[in-house]
Amino acid sequence: MPPRTVSGKHMKVRADAVSERPDVADVVARFGDAIRSIETDAAGEPVVNVDPERSFEVLEYLRDSQGYDMLKDITGLDLGGGHPLQVVYQLWSTRDSAPLRLKAALPHDNPKLESAFGLWRASDWLEREAYDMYGVIFEGHPDLRRILMPENYEEGYPLRKDFPLRGRFSRAEQTRLALSREMEDLYSLDELAVSGRSGSRRAEPDEGLETQNMILNIGPQHPATHGVLRLVCELDGETIVKCTPHIGYLHTGFEKLSEYRTWNQVIPLTDRMDYLAPMLYNIGYALGVEELLGIEITPRCKVIRVICSELNRVLSHLIWVGTTAIDIGAMTPFLYTFEERERIYNLHEAYAGARMTTSVSRVGGMMADVPPGWLDSVRDFVETFPNTLDETERLLTQNAIWVGRTQGVGAIGAEDALNVGACGPNLRASGVAYDVRKDKPYLDYETYDFDVPIGDHGDVYDRYLVRMEEMRQSLRILEQALDRVPDGPINVDDPRVILPPKSQVMGSIDGMISHFKLVMEGLKVPAGEVWSSIESSKGELGFYLVADGGPKPVRCRFRGPSFMNMSTLPCLVEGELIADLIAVNASIDIVLGEIDR
Amino acid sequence: MSKGSESAGSGARSQVETEIPRNWFIAKLDDLVVNWARRGSLWPMPFGTACCAIEMMAAAASKYDMARYGMERMGYTPRQADVMIVAGRVSYKMAPVMRRIWDQMPQPKWCISMGACASTGGVFDTYTLMQGIDTVVPVDVYVPGCPPRPEGLLYALLMIQEKIKGESVIDPRSREEDPERVGKPHLTPEEIEHIAEPFGNSTFQNRVSGLESSSPIHRPGDRKE
Ligand code: SF4
Repeated sequence: MPPRTVSGKHMKVRADAVSERPDVADVVARFGDAIRSIETDAAGEPVVNVDPERSFEVLEYLRDSQGYDMLKDITGLDLGGGHPLQVVYQLWSTRDSAPLRLKAALPHDNPKLESAFGLWRASDWLEREAYDMYGVIFEGHPDLRRILMPENYEEGYPLRKDFPLRGRFSRAEQTRLALSREMEDLYSLDELAVSGRSGSRRAEPDEGLETQNMILNIGPQHPATHGVLRLVCELDGETIVKCTPHIGYLHTGFEKLSEYRTWNQVIPLTDRMDYLAPMLYNIGYALGVEELLGIEITPRCKVIRVICSELNRVLSHLIWVGTTAIDIGAMTPFLYTFEERERIYNLHEAYAGARMTTSVSRVGGMMADVPPGWLDSVRDFVETFPNTLDETERLLTQNAIWVGRTQGVGAIGAEDALNVGACGPNLRASGVAYDVRKDKPYLDYETYDFDVPIGDHGDVYDRYLVRMEEMRQSLRILEQALDRVPDGPINVDDPRVILPPKSQVMGSIDGMISHFKLVMEGLKVPAGEVWSSIESSKGELGFYLVADGGPKPVRCRFRGPSFMNMSTLPCLVEGELIADLIAVNASIDIVLGEIDR
Repeated sequence: MSKGSESAGSGARSQVETEIPRNWFIAKLDDLVVNWARRGSLWPMPFGTACCAIEMMAAAASKYDMARYGMERMGYTPRQADVMIVAGRVSYKMAPVMRRIWDQMPQPKWCISMGACASTGGVFDTYTLMQGIDTVVPVDVYVPGCPPRPEGLLYALLMIQEKIKGESVIDPRSREEDPERVGKPHLTPEEIEHIAEPFGNSTFQNRVSGLESSSPIHRPGDRKE
């Protein structure tokens, strides 16, 4: 049973003046003085500043009456220098394919805001993260605890501007504190019992026999958690009553570190976030900065970027198939898919010099043009890879064990999936045809002919089918891209962002000066902000970038799709059997580097 | 009297003289057999956290096939493992978990720190990342790289094998474990401060490994005095 395939709408974002947008005008007319101001960001998208007291009302109205049914992001923003803290909401209307950004300014001491949990369950983890990083208190949130940092973290709110990069305490003290925590406390029943919103439900006492639910802890170091994830499950017999993921064990401080690096120096950080599809992250980030700068990359660069993106989509889906199959008990696909991954790694290595940490993009282009013969190697891969794909499908698609373990397991409907914040293949498996490549095209994706596979049931099996089909669609895109690679320069001809050629550096004073300035100071990005996104292999990957005209970002927010997908796990597994937890957790395709950042 | 004492002395001496070679021989034989067995069947405990863990998986998968060297069994249980491979960044939130896993592993045990992050914190000198896992557990082999290639990891495992070759079963120093230190940092606060300086840990590692300068290439064989 192949999944239905549909094509998404080819709708460009409306570029007309923001004030003419009927939804924005309507909100202004309706809420009057609750709307403090309306701005446009670097991409021409509207930014509405609202009174924090009434932000909930505005959000509710936008969701119910203006079709903004998708909450993409909630994050904090601290500009420093006495500016108030801000909370940023990024909304998307699937009805009109239109974005909208809402901001609420709050004082630094005691920042309080009403939680949007009642509107979107997706806001659960996003708000916890904003609390963890900025100390914003969301009133009415059912479970506002730290999420990335340890719960007893004492040093403050890391992303505030007054927080030092290396932490407030000395390294020795940080180490001592970390190790001084009593492990038994961490796993005590009290600690496990607080960790849920639905409240612990005791099983009914049955004929005088007192029964009690069992608490099962999985992780943080467990082979089936795909990294350092900790799941605490409350079990009634074998049924999961409640499941609480604990994350943050790999928190690395990417967002903080980015504020201390120049714009191009952030690129090596990006591929260490999603190391399963590094080039997608490189390219998405570069696209964001280019949008902020307002530069158009060369036609050749666009096509090369599409090739890199689709290769990495395949790379990431391959590891997904392999590891998920292992989790469900099939070893062979792992060996097959890793064989193919090695071939893509070889392509990476030939281009970037590294197998995994590619850092292949630069603002305004790529690190270099592709080496001679590289495109032929890609074509060779595109031609031979379907064999492995077929073989893997033959092993799994009709396999009775595979079907039995995956069909009807961890199912979620379209509306719920939107509300809890599922994205990417998981959302599409539930029947929502949302793909950034179709709905908000970048890199000229609208000129490629490909389908977006969507499923009907939203279960593990459909997620598998959708990913398998996506690999085939990626191959289609790759074929078209390989046929149209134009000649010409790979980098834009703009001395503000790209180093001049060596002949100019050595031969002309202008070239030397711009080389010197770019190397010593880094490229300057004009003040402004942008929320740009691409379709990564795991879902919509958003970059919220804020610049102040200097050589370093003021804020680099990476809205990873895995983070959102991970937060849906409790909704997927509650009521399922414990054995299915492993299958469902594997099926949502997470990468902890991106969740914890 | 003097003669008797002399003979007693010489008797004791001759006893010692005959005892030593035999013990020595048995110990050597033990070393040979035990070290051979240990060397040939290292059971890794993969403590993979981030990007390096993917390369560790690649090292175990079809192309590089770690099992060739006897590391057949990637056990995720610390109780049945003897090499901990720490692959990836380790945050302070993760530190007690790693320390506990190390404490749970039975002796004899070894530790490989794979990648720049595990060894020194890598490019992430931030508020949340440990600047080298050697502040918390003792490390036998550091693998440089970001990430190291699978060959790098295999080489590290070979170095562990090399190290085992030189060990002696009767030498208590290599295997001693102080219960007082369980769950505690491996280094003193001053040392942690010292190696957490920017570039601190890499120079520190050069010093403890006997490589003051990193210019000559040292192979495991070169390093034996
Ligand atoms: S050393 Fe490099 S590849 Fe390894 S975990 Fe650190 S950043 Fe990732």
